[in-house]
Formats: sequence, structure tokens, C-alpha cells
Amino acid sequence: MAYKPQINIIAVVDVIGALSGGTLHNGNLCLVDNAGEESTGQGTAHLRTAVRPGQVVQWSALAVDLQTPVEIRSITFLGEDGVATPATRTSAEGDGDKLDLAHWAGVVPPSLPSGTPFKYRLELQMYEGRYSVLHVDSPALIGV
Amino acid sequence: MAQQLAIIVLVDIGNALEANSLRDNVYLFDNMKLHGSDGQGTGDLVTAIHGAYWRDGSQATEQVLNWLPYSLGSLPPTVPRGYESERALQSDARALEELDALTAKPDATDPAADLNEIRKAVGTRVKTTRRTKGRLSGQKVIDLTGEIVTDTSAGTYSYPAPVITDIYGQAVDEKIMYPAEYGSPDLVTDGWYWSATVDSSRPGTYSYSMRIQLHRLVQRGSEALWEPVNLTCESALRVTSEPKVNGFTGSGMGLLPLDPYPSSAQGAEYFQPGPQQPGPQQPGSQQSGVQQSGLVEEER
Repeated sequence: MAYKPQINIIAVVDVIGALSGGTLHNGNLCLVDNAGEESTGQGTAHLRTAVRPGQVVQWSALAVDLQTPVEIRSITFLGEDGVATPATRTSAEGDGDKLDLAHWAGVVPPSLPSGTPFKYRLELQMYEGRYSVLHVDSPALIGV
Repeated sequence: MAQQLAIIVLVDIGNALEANSLRDNVYLFDNMKLHGSDGQGTGDLVTAIHGAYWRDGSQATEQVLNWLPYSLGSLPPTVPRGYESERALQSDARALEELDALTAKPDATDPAADLNEIRKAVGTRVKTTRRTKGRLSGQKVIDLTGEIVTDTSAGTYSYPAPVITDIYGQAVDEKIMYPAEYGSPDLVTDGWYWSATVDSSRPGTYSYSMRIQLHRLVQRGSEALWEPVNLTCESALRVTSEPKVNGFTGSGMGLLPLDPYPSSAQGAEYFQPGPQQPGPQQPGSQQSGVQQSGLVEEER
């Protein structure tokens, strides 16, 4: 597989299904990347994206029904205990109407150990209000 | 933003025709309330258009608008396309059965009155003109329950759906939006719909007008026909544009914050982030929205 300078991860969200069921599981979230065959879990919420040091990884969200709103609220890498530490917590957690201004992209660090999955929490916001935010802790980046 | 914008144009056709104006007889809604649209459910909707630009000033997002005209006081647009014609055929069949029964009746005391009743039940086919043919062809005047209307003076009939025939005005003249009518497989809108792309790089409020065609039922001698009536209503777009910011750093792109690689410490090795830009981040906010909502998703 040729080295790609940028990997794209798209979160395809059935917003109505997610809000109705209160979950991003049960097929309401499909994560897909273009990293090639080394990635696993394509089309599921358990995507493991194969990445190499120096690559840019970019996340974006897309609603299955194009007229429903969904934005990435935050992406937080989790520690070994599965808990986000303050140092790694990210927060573009502002007003729901500003989330579309956030561009979720970053460079894979140069000394990324291969074979180690870095799980992250993907938090999505669908419109606004008490029940508008859902997340999954299941996706990961894995060095190859 | 990937979300497509929809503007619903709901017309009170009966009152609009009576007043010969859409003023106070049109209700506009869009799906951008979250982004600050004003006047939802009124005739004075201002649709919020969020634009965004990259650090080099180039446009970062595109917006697409769709207009969907609906009617107050018409059959719902979701009934099958052939519903009106189907109801017309059914009324014809029923009239034939009643005629059969009448001729078989040996002791008809007042056949003229009976025939008159049947004639009423048959209703009147609406004559179509070159401009109103198509879906309206072969229809009869029916009410909201699909029953044939014989006395059209009562005004209890279902109007044909409103049709947008043009979108024009300041927002078009100044090339803020590029509207066009497209063919659509969605028969709810009669196979056509208006859509526009929007230049979100020029902030400001821009008005536009919609020309909307309604149909008035008129009686010409023994014939009824749908006569087109063209009216206009106004609306506006309010375009804003703000800079894109990196979700991880709040400014330029850096290293991913993979523990133990805090992004703030090492991002500069690869990139020189620009000056801090206003963004969605709320400094000091550490509270997860999930915890707020109580909808914590455990990994499964």
C-alpha cells in the first residue's frame, strides 16, 4: 500500500435513528476510512484506522439524511484505562451552532509505536438540547 | 456544513386568493433555527447561512438551499399521485351503478329528481387549459376527504398545490445565490423543485422574492376551470462567515494528542500555528456534554 499523506475518517450518522434510540450503536454510526486494507471494522463503530507517523488524519461527520444536522463535538484520545486525561481531553465544546467551524485534523506523532491501538471517544452533536449529544469509545487509531 | 437547507413555503391558498396577496397568507420555515434563522412560521423568515473560511481566506463550506411549497387547505401531498383521478373514476362508476338501479326500478315516481341527484353525485370535471394541464387533467373538484364537491360556491374544495415559478431579487442579482428549477423523482413536488447554491463568503442580509402560482376555481358557463394566479412573497438570507479552527488545538493543525504525545508540546515541530482565532472552544470547559445529557454510551 502506497504511503498516503492524509487519511480521512468519515462518521456516517443516521441522526434520526440515533436520537430515537438514544444510541450511536445498532447501526446508527458507520465509521469508514480510506487507509486501506490494514484498517479493520470498516462501516462499524469499531473502526481501527491504520496510521503511520507523519500522516494527517482528518475526521468529518456526514448525516445519512442530508437535511438533519450532525457535527463532531469532540474527539478525545483515551488512556490505557479508557479514561480521557485532562492532558488529552479536547474540547470544541462550544455552542452547537458553532461546531461546524471546527476542523478535526492532526498529525500522527513521529514515534508512534506500531501495533498499539489508541482508542478515542468520538462525541457527536445532533442539533441541540439535553439529548442531543452521544458518543462512542470504540474507534481507534493503530500504528502500522 | 454538509447539512442541506430546506425552506418550506406553506401557503393558505383560499385566503391568498381572496386577498389576491400572499401577505399574511404565507408561512415560511427552515431547518436553520439552530444557526439563527429568524421569523420561523411567519411570512418574514430570515434564513441564516453559515459560511466558513480557511486561514488563507478561501471558502471552506458550501451551502445548498431547497424550497418546498406546501398548501394549507389541500389534499396532503403524500397521497398517491393518481388519487384525484382515481376518485373521479370511482364517482363515475358509482353514478353508472345508480343509473342502472334507477332504470331497473319499476315504480320510479320522480325520475327527473333521481337523475338530478345522480348528476350531482357525478360532479364536474375541471376543464384544463394549456397552462393547467398535466396533473390537473381529468380531475373533478373534490374536498379534503376525497369526496366529490358539487357546490363549488361553498369553497370547501381542495386547491392544487402551490407552484414556485421563479426566485429572483437582490440575493440573485448580487450573485449571492444561484437558484434554478430542477427535475426531481419526488412526485410530492410534482416532479420539480427549486434549489440554489449560496456564496457564503460575502456576509450580509440579502432579500429575495418568490413568484408563486396558485389556482383559482372559476365557473365559465357550465364549465369549471382552474385559472392560474401569480403572486409574490419576500424572504431573505443572512450570510455570516467565520474562520475554521482546528478542533484539537483551537488554532492551526498540530500533532494528534495521543497519550503520551500532548499536541501542544510537539505540534510546532511540524507546523507553525497561526495566531489564535475565535472558535467554538470554550476555554476551561471540561465538562462532557455526554455527562450533561446522561446518555453515556458504553463501548459494546
